[in-house]
Amino acid sequence: MATVQVSEAEKVYILHGIRDDLRVDGRGCEDYRHMEIETDVVSNTDGSAKVTLGHTAVLVGIKAEIGKPRPMVPNEGYLEFFVDCSANATPEFEGRGGEELGTELSNTLYKVFNNKHSVDLKSLCISAGEHCWVLYVDVLLLQCDGNLYDAISVAVKAALFSTKIPRVHISADDEGGKEIELSDDPYDCMRLNVENVPCIVTLCKVGHRHVVDATLQEKACSVASLIISVTHKGTVTCTRKVGGGSLDPESIFEMTEAGKRVGKALHAPLMKLLQQEESLGQKRQKVGFLG
Amino acid sequence: MLKSKTFVKKTRSGGVMKIVREHYLRDDIWCGSEVCAECKQESAVLQRDACIESNLCTYPHYLIPDTNVVLHQIDVLEDPVIRNVIILQTVLQEVRHRSAPVYKRLKDIIHEKEKHFYTFTNEHHRDTFIEREPGESANDRNDRAIRVATKWYSQHLKTSESDAEGLKVVLLTNDQGNTQKAEESSLLVYKCEEYIKSLIANPELVDRLALSSDDKNEITSSKVLFPEHLPLSRIQAGIKSGSFLQGSFRASRDNYLEATVFVQGEGEDSTEVLIQGLQNLNRAVHQDVVAVQLLPRNQWVAPSAVVLQDEGTAKDDDAEEEEEEKALRISAAEAASKPTGKIVGIIKRSWRPYCGMLNASQIKESTRHLFTPADRRIPRIRIETRQSSTLAGQRIMVAIDGWPKHSRYPNGHFVRSLGSAGEKDTEQEVLLLEHDVPHQDFSQAVLSFLPKMPWAITPEDMVKREDLRHLTVCSVDPPGCTDIDDALHCRELDNGNLEVGVHIADVSHFIRPGNAMDKEAANRGTTVYLCGKRIDMVPELLSSNLCSLRSNVERMAFSCIWEMNDKAEILKTRFTKSVINSKASLTYAEAQMRIDDTTMNDDITQSLRGLNKLAKILKRQRIEKGALTLSSLEVRFHIDSETHDPIDLQTKELMETNSMVEEFMLLANISVAQKIYDEFPDCAMLRKHPAPPPSNYDILLKAAKSKNVEIHTDSAKALADSLDGAKVDGFPYFNTLLRILATRCMMQAVYFCSGMDSDFHHYGLASPIYTHFTSPIRRYADIIVHRLLAVAIAADSTYPDLMDKHKQSALANNLNYRHKMSQYAQRASVAFHTQLFFKSRGILNEAGYVLFVRKNAIIVLIPKFGLEGTVFFDTKDKAAPNLVFDEEGPTLKVEQHNFCIFDKVKVTISLDASNIQHQKIRMALIDPVIPGVSVPAPDVEPQAKKPKLDR
Repeated sequence: MATVQVSEAEKVYILHGIRDDLRVDGRGCEDYRHMEIETDVVSNTDGSAKVTLGHTAVLVGIKAEIGKPRPMVPNEGYLEFFVDCSANATPEFEGRGGEELGTELSNTLYKVFNNKHSVDLKSLCISAGEHCWVLYVDVLLLQCDGNLYDAISVAVKAALFSTKIPRVHISADDEGGKEIELSDDPYDCMRLNVENVPCIVTLCKVGHRHVVDATLQEKACSVASLIISVTHKGTVTCTRKVGGGSLDPESIFEMTEAGKRVGKALHAPLMKLLQQEESLGQKRQKVGFLG
Repeated sequence: MLKSKTFVKKTRSGGVMKIVREHYLRDDIWCGSEVCAECKQESAVLQRDACIESNLCTYPHYLIPDTNVVLHQIDVLEDPVIRNVIILQTVLQEVRHRSAPVYKRLKDIIHEKEKHFYTFTNEHHRDTFIEREPGESANDRNDRAIRVATKWYSQHLKTSESDAEGLKVVLLTNDQGNTQKAEESSLLVYKCEEYIKSLIANPELVDRLALSSDDKNEITSSKVLFPEHLPLSRIQAGIKSGSFLQGSFRASRDNYLEATVFVQGEGEDSTEVLIQGLQNLNRAVHQDVVAVQLLPRNQWVAPSAVVLQDEGTAKDDDAEEEEEEKALRISAAEAASKPTGKIVGIIKRSWRPYCGMLNASQIKESTRHLFTPADRRIPRIRIETRQSSTLAGQRIMVAIDGWPKHSRYPNGHFVRSLGSAGEKDTEQEVLLLEHDVPHQDFSQAVLSFLPKMPWAITPEDMVKREDLRHLTVCSVDPPGCTDIDDALHCRELDNGNLEVGVHIADVSHFIRPGNAMDKEAANRGTTVYLCGKRIDMVPELLSSNLCSLRSNVERMAFSCIWEMNDKAEILKTRFTKSVINSKASLTYAEAQMRIDDTTMNDDITQSLRGLNKLAKILKRQRIEKGALTLSSLEVRFHIDSETHDPIDLQTKELMETNSMVEEFMLLANISVAQKIYDEFPDCAMLRKHPAPPPSNYDILLKAAKSKNVEIHTDSAKALADSLDGAKVDGFPYFNTLLRILATRCMMQAVYFCSGMDSDFHHYGLASPIYTHFTSPIRRYADIIVHRLLAVAIAADSTYPDLMDKHKQSALANNLNYRHKMSQYAQRASVAFHTQLFFKSRGILNEAGYVLFVRKNAIIVLIPKFGLEGTVFFDTKDKAAPNLVFDEEGPTLKVEQHNFCIFDKVKVTISLDASNIQHQKIRMALIDPVIPGVSVPAPDVEPQAKKPKLDR
């Protein structure tokens, strides 16, 4: 993971600031940095989104392919995650440097998103036990400036929102053989319901307090963070602790409460934004990567 | 400007893939009009004064046809009257997608300068590109694209219309919705029919309009005559599950209510399904790929032996039909029943334009007529024309547009006229077209590969070739032959043995693999010889000059040289590329004369005698091994040198020298076959002649039995021996007749690639291996064999296609097809000339033999003319005599007289020109006299025998 060197004096400065609810860049403890979202940025995917959070930039692309349902859940589709830590993001990722982080991220994403409470996996089923849609979610880290989890989760949600899966029909002939038929209209697509898709809020324990959306410097002052996935109703669907330090039960409770609050507040404007973008339709001027 | 085109596609493994293509839009696509000052085009295609006389559009205008207009009315678009047409890229792409042949024709029109057809790439133009909108089908989108482009044109031409005389664009579409939307956006739009009918100056164009299926004024009884065809998806499912069979439809020549569907099974086994009756035939046309459903076993029937022709006027009431169908049913003998089925759907139509003639309707003013194709297997076609009076008596081409289920006949439209019927050129064109013989002049691309004249053998060539100019080589061919591809020599060696050489024209030296000339020759496959005309496989410069082994000129050859002892045993064989100088080009008769004339003792004659002696031994050996001598009567016409009409006709006679040349050609072919097979076991081009299945001999056995002669068919040898022994006292012609019958039992010899087959045997020649090497000027297979042999003796280099057994096999299939078609064309040509001959002769009385006995007719062979004809016993206008047909004999009892095979009969022969459609030789019985059936012998004035022209 990208790290910065922070001197003792700087640490004290940051710690004291946070204690007084005043962060180096002027934010409060539960404030996010400036966030930019654009969907439908990669034309050869079925859904995509690019999110920048501060200087952190991630790109998520979703490809839908037809696969076989898992034997235990024959009437559900599933999601697969792959996180590519490109060396563009930070030189540390060069070679196989980003592999470990990538695996860790994709495992977490899998846990958070691949369950029927988050995504309506049943709608991904084409014919029970035989065909289902598999959504391959590919995450590309473009730049690392702290708080990867939150940025990625927002991007995944946005990408899922924009995903258009071609509608297919199963035609059964007299003998029971099944044939998948594609609609000939490219606009004839299935959309996913993303209402229950959670977002991840990472809370960083700095001193006795905790902050959301920690920068790299703040991260360097922290010993442990708590990753909480929260739905729009404020339900916590998953928590995970990362970092070497320990957290006492009381602060875990405090942090969870704060996470719920922040998460709920994050969902509403996000959905509003996505719908607004959608309503612009085809003629929207795309910003892309150079804008 | 960059746009991307996105579409989803099903992959072969069943997945779904989203594909994104970049699509660039440009602003430098010009409109192509001479009027336009804005566009910076170099040469404008569309004319300024684009005038077609029309009473709908009195102003100059350009036409924009939509896709369906192009697809259905390509015949009209091809007419020279239609000029200044804008073909949009959208239309072009759709046409290409939907029909390759129409696309090819459209491209040809666009390339023709005089037609002024302009392709406007509207899909790449910044102002005319449109994206598909949600809820819009692909077709709607294309229609919209066409409208947008039309709109653009009309505005574009208006703005640049500084001096233009109100130039407009007219959209042609038959689609109602499209018309309406176009009118809403104030475009000029007409239905294609509407527009064509408005062309005052060219009323004949209307006939070339294809009937569109939504034409409600069709000439049909509303009654549904045929069952619905199943949709393709159902058919495919049915074929997969085995409830339907897929096969190619073959209509019967003799009976329009009967057909077979040839179902190719896995590997070798294939079955034939019999289809009987109009309902079951269900609008399938000869050669369509169809789906059949087998009927339950208790409804299986046997092929009928009745000859039924669909004649008379248009029958929309099918009372008569039912009777005919009944006639079919009765014949169904239980024992001989075959798998029978019905057509449930058409997988692929293989309609092409058909040659034939118009059956003018009896109602004078009617514009609807029936068209009778020359090919009996094609049903009659209903067309609409106003020129019936002009077209009657002409050979015309008609294309089928469709066959609705409530119409007795398919609907079609007139394509073009070939000329008046009965004229030699017209008829020749017809039979070439009908037999799919490529007969256009060679293209410039092909001719560009010809060697430059004057041509001579260069010293470099000499280095690579053996110099055989000193040998006494001569060629023996039929009179008038200009494409001489073989020459022979024979000389005594010092050791007392004989050296025999067969020299074949080295065509592969001139035709190099892969160039345009090679491709053209491979496609043509063979030279087609018609009476008085030759359709060359290679350009004439090669066939009649540079390759032809004419006398007293130096020519390149591929030689096969044997050393033999006087028992004609081969001691040594070698192959070499050579240069020869033939000393004489002889005819068979001339060669025979030299051999027989004891006073002549020159080198050529000596050589011929040596060859003749060896040939006799070779022939004897071959016959001992079981080679068959079969017989078929070949006819030769004496053609008048000025009128080119046949003035006399005789069956070809064979001389010793014929068989002499033949023996050595066979020997060379066998030697070469062995050599190339040894060298290239996987890709040698060989020829095989499969042994016929025993059932083929049934007719021969039955026929022979009726004269108490036994024929053994266990092996070729047994057959040959029993044919030799088959003699009946007082019936010298019996043996020939039997051989003619035996020939009919044989299978077709075919080319094949050695890597694709394991059975090489040539049944007729009793040779384990055989190929064609000796006629490269007129057969493409020989060129391939030459190339293989050249590689084998390291005289030439190889190329990939030569060693690819799949490509070789595909080539062999084409060659087999072309050979078959050329034979049919040849026969048709002979038949036509026979008709001409009898036309000039009037009525003749001749003796003949019964060759086959059918249920309602006998087929009679007239040996004098090698002519076969049918004597029908049930004619429509007369009460049928009492007919009893016995299949075992087979015999046919007419009133009191019993006909069986080989009976000698007397018939009158006349040309029946009453039906100009199919002029045919009509035969009527004179002897034996059967009251009410036979005709009195007409008095025939003995014609003054015309002096024979040659010999």
